[in-house]
Amino acid sequence: MDELDLLKKDWNKDDNVYPKLTYNEIYKMILKKSSSIVKWIFIISLLEFAFWTFISFLLKDTESIKRFDQLGADPIFIPLIVIGYIILVFFFYLFFRNYRRISATDNAKLLMENILKTRKTVKHYVAFNLIYLVITTFAALYIVLNQNQIIVAQIEKAAASGEVFKFYAVFIIMVVLFLAIAIGILLLFYWVVYGLLLKRLNSNYKELKKLEV
Amino acid sequence: MNQELEHNFVELLEKHQNIVHKVCRLYTNNYDAHNDLFQEITIQLWKAYPKFRGDAKFSTWMYRVGLNTAITLYRKSKRTINTQDFDGVEFKIKAENYDDTEEEQLKVLYKAVHQLNDIEKALVFLYLEDKDYREISETLGISEVNARVKMNRIKTKLRTILNP
Repeated sequence: MDELDLLKKDWNKDDNVYPKLTYNEIYKMILKKSSSIVKWIFIISLLEFAFWTFISFLLKDTESIKRFDQLGADPIFIPLIVIGYIILVFFFYLFFRNYRRISATDNAKLLMENILKTRKTVKHYVAFNLIYLVITTFAALYIVLNQNQIIVAQIEKAAASGEVFKFYAVFIIMVVLFLAIAIGILLLFYWVVYGLLLKRLNSNYKELKKLEV
Repeated sequence: MNQELEHNFVELLEKHQNIVHKVCRLYTNNYDAHNDLFQEITIQLWKAYPKFRGDAKFSTWMYRVGLNTAITLYRKSKRTINTQDFDGVEFKIKAENYDDTEEEQLKVLYKAVHQLNDIEKALVFLYLEDKDYREISETLGISEVNARVKMNRIKTKLRTILNP
């Protein structure tokens, strides 16, 4: 007899070793809230959607953006904003569709795949936002450098003293630094939150995939 | 309607609760964690219950949801930190039915099974529950051949843990 058969003999021997919960105890349990990772992914994802929508509203009302409007940036910014909203709706739809597909009664592999797919939708949305952030920042930079009277005057002054290259370099380095810090903070957040949440799922999924090779 | 659904569900779960206890036994190693996982599996079963079709056996359906919760959905709670060894405390191995060597072997075996990874535990669990390879493969979403191969590897692994 091998080891597992010995274990099997004991495993099925006596069911009385387990706690026996009463009808009422079980009833109380079904009234409680789940703390599954799917629930957490759902909450965090909604917060992310909210965060990026909030950021776009916040930016729209700032003084600098209002000043921006006077610079005739609309032909560039209105299409960018419209595209931003269309993509938000598209990702939101994808997210809900994937979320609804998650079912605890699927086989283990499919369940894991559906969870990872839902999570991936949000990941793509954030990636889109980061790219969007970079594009709008550079578009803004371009407009400011060309049309803001104060900056244009400064550029002319720098050109007169032969330091125009230095002026541009400082400006661009500052913008790149700002973007790098913003992206760095976000990536760190991702690494910590999703790393903790999905560590187990990822390793179990890898283990199942390994079996298929 | 909802009340009737609740009543039917709780009654069925009360009757078949040992399946959930057994999943918890393999995936947790202390009393609090056991209860915590039991609670989460119960919630997941209840959430899935409206879609449960009578053509599947309730117990078979429970295996799937129970294992999925243990392997994928469950987020270990903070309470599981105060670890206390489970087997031998909560689940007394029935000493009177075994000679000393067998009893000792069983203790070591349960410990060895706890050292396996989540997927390996799922295979062992279904094997112990006398499920055939078709059902094991359907529950985990792998092919029957791969389930068989993996099971053999697990047996070898257990042997190695037992006789290093």
